[in-house]
Amino acid sequence: MLERYLTGASTYAHSIDHLFLLIAALVGFWLIVAEIALFWLSFKFRRKQGRPTQYVTGEEKHLARWVTIPHLLVIVCDIVILVPALIVWFNIKQTNPPIEQTVRVFGQQWAWSFQQPGPDGILDTADDIRTVGELHVTVNTTYRFELRSRDVVHSFAVPSFRLKQDALPGRTISGWFRPNRVGTYDIQCTQICGIGHALMAGRVIVETPQEHAAWLIRASNPALAERESPPASATGASIVAEVRR
Amino acid sequence: MSTQVPHAEQGIFQKYFWSTDHKIIAMQYLFTGMAMGLIGGYLAYVFRMQLAFPGHSVPGFGIVTPGEYNTVVTMHGSIMIFWVAMPVLIAAFGNFLIPLMIGCDDMAFPRINRLSYQIFLLSAVVLVASFLVKGGAFGGAWTSYPPLSASGAYNLTPLGASLWLVAVALEFVAFLLGGVNFIVTAMNSRAPGMTMYDIPMVVWMIVLASIMFMASVGPLIAGAVMLLFDQTLKTGFYDPARGGDPLLWQHLFWFFGHPEVYVVLLPAIGIVAELLTVFARKKLFGYKTILYTTWATVIISFLVWAHHQFVAGIDPRMANIFSVTTLLVSVPITEMVFLYIATLYGGSIRFHTPMLWAVAFVAEFMIGGVTGIFLGASGTDIYLHDTYFVIAHFHYTFVPIAIFSVFGGLTYWYPKMFGRMLNDTLGKVHFWGTAIPFNLIFIPLFITGAAGDQRRTYNYALFAEQSRPVLQHLRMFATFGLLVMLLFQLVFLFNFFWSLRHGRRAEANPWMANTLEWTVPSPPPHGNFAKLPTVYRGPYEYGVPGRIDDYWPQDVPN
Amino acid sequence: MLANLTVVPKVAPRRFALWTLLISFGGLGLSGCRLGPTDAATRGKELFETCVPCHQPDGSGSPVLGAPNIAGMKEWYVEKQLEKFRDGIRGTHFSDVEGMRMRPMALSLPTDEDVKAVAHYVESLPPVRHASSLPGDPRAGAALYATCSACHGPNGAGNQDLGAPRIGGIDDWYLATQLRKFKRGVRGADSRDFDARLMRPMALTLADDDAVRNVVAYIGTLRP
Repeated sequence: MLERYLTGASTYAHSIDHLFLLIAALVGFWLIVAEIALFWLSFKFRRKQGRPTQYVTGEEKHLARWVTIPHLLVIVCDIVILVPALIVWFNIKQTNPPIEQTVRVFGQQWAWSFQQPGPDGILDTADDIRTVGELHVTVNTTYRFELRSRDVVHSFAVPSFRLKQDALPGRTISGWFRPNRVGTYDIQCTQICGIGHALMAGRVIVETPQEHAAWLIRASNPALAERESPPASATGASIVAEVRR
Repeated sequence: MSTQVPHAEQGIFQKYFWSTDHKIIAMQYLFTGMAMGLIGGYLAYVFRMQLAFPGHSVPGFGIVTPGEYNTVVTMHGSIMIFWVAMPVLIAAFGNFLIPLMIGCDDMAFPRINRLSYQIFLLSAVVLVASFLVKGGAFGGAWTSYPPLSASGAYNLTPLGASLWLVAVALEFVAFLLGGVNFIVTAMNSRAPGMTMYDIPMVVWMIVLASIMFMASVGPLIAGAVMLLFDQTLKTGFYDPARGGDPLLWQHLFWFFGHPEVYVVLLPAIGIVAELLTVFARKKLFGYKTILYTTWATVIISFLVWAHHQFVAGIDPRMANIFSVTTLLVSVPITEMVFLYIATLYGGSIRFHTPMLWAVAFVAEFMIGGVTGIFLGASGTDIYLHDTYFVIAHFHYTFVPIAIFSVFGGLTYWYPKMFGRMLNDTLGKVHFWGTAIPFNLIFIPLFITGAAGDQRRTYNYALFAEQSRPVLQHLRMFATFGLLVMLLFQLVFLFNFFWSLRHGRRAEANPWMANTLEWTVPSPPPHGNFAKLPTVYRGPYEYGVPGRIDDYWPQDVPN
Repeated sequence: MLANLTVVPKVAPRRFALWTLLISFGGLGLSGCRLGPTDAATRGKELFETCVPCHQPDGSGSPVLGAPNIAGMKEWYVEKQLEKFRDGIRGTHFSDVEGMRMRPMALSLPTDEDVKAVAHYVESLPPVRHASSLPGDPRAGAALYATCSACHGPNGAGNQDLGAPRIGGIDDWYLATQLRKFKRGVRGADSRDFDARLMRPMALTLADDDAVRNVVAYIGTLRP
C-alpha cells in the first residue's frame, strides 16, 4: 500500500509496508462497521411522530452483549496487529544482521555529513572519505550506520528505505540498512532542528558495485576529481535546479 | 450553605473583570479562548498558504521565511492546545457547568478561581507579547526539545524561547488552581441526594481531567524550570557536554504531553454524552461502564508516553512495552465509543445543531482513533513518525475535541449562558461548512504523510520525492479546505454576536433536559438557585415508561 | 416543542448565509492570486528577514553565531557568494560548520532574481564598524599585507575585476576565521571555486596564527 505512494528501496521497506496494509485492513474494517452503525442508528431512530423512545439502561445482560462482543473482537484485532508490529520492530531495530560496511553519519545545523572508509575499507584512517549532503552506498550490501549529532537533536530519515532514527548529541546510535534498489533517494531531517530544518536535505545514492568502485577512486583522489567534474557538483546543481523550478 | 449571596450593585469593572462569580469567570475564559483561537486560526492560514504556494507572498502576512515558518507552526500548536482547548473545554465549561449541574451557588474557592483566570490571562499576554520581542516568538516546535530550545545560538529566538516557557508555566499554574477548585467543588458541594452515580457525565469528565492534569504536570513544571535555567543561567541539565541529557526533557514532556491529550479529550466526550442523551431522548447506555472505562483510560494513559519516542534514541526494547500499552489504551476508548453509538439505539433523535456536532464528533473521532493504531504499532511508526500522517491523525482527534465538541457545547448551553437562542439555520450552515472542509483538509494530509512528507517543513523544493506535483496538488487542496473552513467561522461569529441581542429569548429549559442547570432561569442569576435543589435521580432519565413527559428532571420529587 | 426552535427571524440570517457563501468563494479565487507584483527593492527587504536571525536587522552580524558583518557589502560579492552556497561550492566541506548553516539559507531564496534583490538590499545597508576583538600587532601585519594589497588594494577596498572583496572594515574575528579556513582548505576546496583557489596559496603564505592575527590587525586600521 505504501509502495503506491513511495518506492521502497531497502530490505525492510516491504515488511513495514505489509504491516501497514494489515493494520489498514483490520482497523479499516472496524471503522467502516462502526461508522455504518452510527449513521444507520442515527437515521433509523430519527424523530418520528408517535414513536416513543425506549428506556434502555445498558446494564441489561442481553444488551450489554452488543457492546462486549465487538469489544472482545477489538482486543483480538489488537493482538493480531501487535504481534507482527513487534516482530517488524524487532527485526529492524533490535537485531544486527552480519555487517558488510560501516558508515558514520553526522547531523549538524543544517546538513548531513558522512564519513566512510576509503579504499582500505577501514574507518578512522587517513584515507577516509568525508562527504556533505551525499552518501554513496552499494546495492545489496548491509550497512551499519553510526549516528551522531554535533549540536541539537536531528532525525536521520530515508523515507524510501523506511529508515528513521533520531541523532542525539552526546550519543552514538547505531542501526542498519540494506539497500536493494539502485537509484537516488532523499535524506530528510524529521526532527525540528532550527530555522534551516526544512533545508537540511541530503541524497543517498545507491550504486552498483562497479559504479561505487569508480566513485571511490574519484572521491579518494582529489587530483583526479579536479580534472573531471566532481560528484559534489551534481548534487548542488540538481538541488538548485529543483529550487528554481 | 447560603442560598442567596447578598447582591450589591457592582460597577462594570467589578462585575466583569474582578468578579468571583463562576459564570463570569467562565465567560472570561471563553472569550479569551475564542480570541486566542482566532490567532491560532490565522497562523494556520499563514502556514497552509505557504505550503500551497511556497515562495509567494502570503496575503496578510508577507513572505514566510524559514524562521518565521517555524515560529508560526510552533505558536499554532501551543496556542491551540494550551490557550484554546484547555481554557474553553476545561475552564469555560467547567466553571460554567459544575456549580450549576451539581446544584450549588458557586465554586468552593471563588477567589482562587478569579486568581486562576488572572494568571491565565497573564500567560496569554506573555505569549502574545513574545511575538514582538527581538528575534520573534519561539520557533522550536511546541514540544520544545533541547538542546535546540536550550540555547539561543541554536534556535535563534532566545527571548521568545524563554517567554514561551514562562507563558506555559503560568498557564499550568492557572489550571492547577482551577483544577483544585473543580475537584473540591464537585466532591463537596453537590446538592443533597446527588450520589456519585447521579453526577452528570460532563462534570465527572472535567473532574477526572483535572485529576490527570494535576498528576502529570508536576514533572514537566520541574523540567520547564530546568530548561529555563539552561536558557538563562547557562546550566547544563540538558546539555550532554556537561553531563546533562536531552532525552530527559523528552520523557518529562511526554509524561505530561500524552495525558494532556486525554485531559482535553475527557471534557469533550463528557459534553458529547450530554448532547447525545438530550437530543436522542435516551438514557446514557451503560453510565457506570463509561465511568469505569474512563478511569481505565486515565490510568493507562500514564503508561504510554514513550510511544512519542520510539525512534528518539531510547532503548529499542522499551518500544515493545509502550507499543503494548498504547494499543491497550485503545480498548477502553473503543468501548466508550461503542457505548455512545449504542446510546442512539431506540432513541427519538432530534437533529438540532448541537446534535449534529455530537454525532460528527463520534464519527470523526473514530477516524482519529483508528489512525492512531498505525502510530502506536512500533513497526509502522518507524516510517510514519514525524510525518504528516501524524499531523492528520492528531487533528482528527483534536479538531473533534476542541472544535466539534466545543461548538456542540456552545450551541447547546448558549441559551443558558446568554438567555437567548442561537439561530438553528445558521448553526447548521456553520456545521456543514466546518465539518466537510475539515475532512478536505486532513484526508489529503494522510496521503502526503504516507508518501513521506516530513513535518515542520516550510518548503519541499529540496526533496525530490516530496516535490512531486501530485503531492503539491494535495497540499493545495488541503489549503483550499482550510480557507473554506475558516470563512465559515464567520457564520458562527455572526450568529453568536447577532443572537446575543436579537435571538429569541430562551425559557429556563428550552431543550427539555434533565440536569439541574435547566431548572434555573436563563441566564442564571447571581447565586444560581433561588432555593438549593434536592436531587432524586440520575441525569439521564429520558423516556421512562409510565410517564407522560419523556424527560424527568433530577430535582422533581417522585 | 423542540421543533419550534428555529422559527424566529429567517430572512436576515438566510441572506447573510448566501452572502457569506458568495464572498467566501470569491475570496478563495482571490487567495490563489498574488496580490500585485512587488518591486525588487521591497522583495529584497522582505527576503532579508531570512538573514535577520543571524546577521541581525542592521546586517552587523553576530560573532557568537559566526555570522559576519555584511552591512554595506558590495552587491556583486554578496550575489556571487550566495550563488556559490546555492551551487554547493561553499558550505559543503565536512569541517565548515558555519558554512553548513549558511548554505540552506542561501538555498531558501526561490530564484536568481531574489538572490540579486537580497544582495542589492545588503549593499544598501549603512556599513557598521566594530572595534577589534583580537590581539595582534598591526605594524608586523603591515609588511604581510603587501601580498594582499595586490588584489584587495592598499586600503582594502577590494577590486571587482579581480574578484577581490572589500576587506577594510570587516570584523577581525571573521577575517581571521576565513584565513584559517583557507589555510586548512575548508574554504576553497571545491575545484569550481576559482576565486577561493586563487586566495588559498596567498593565505598559506601566512606562516602561523600570529601572522594571521597581525595581518588582520593591520587590516583593522584601513579606511577604504
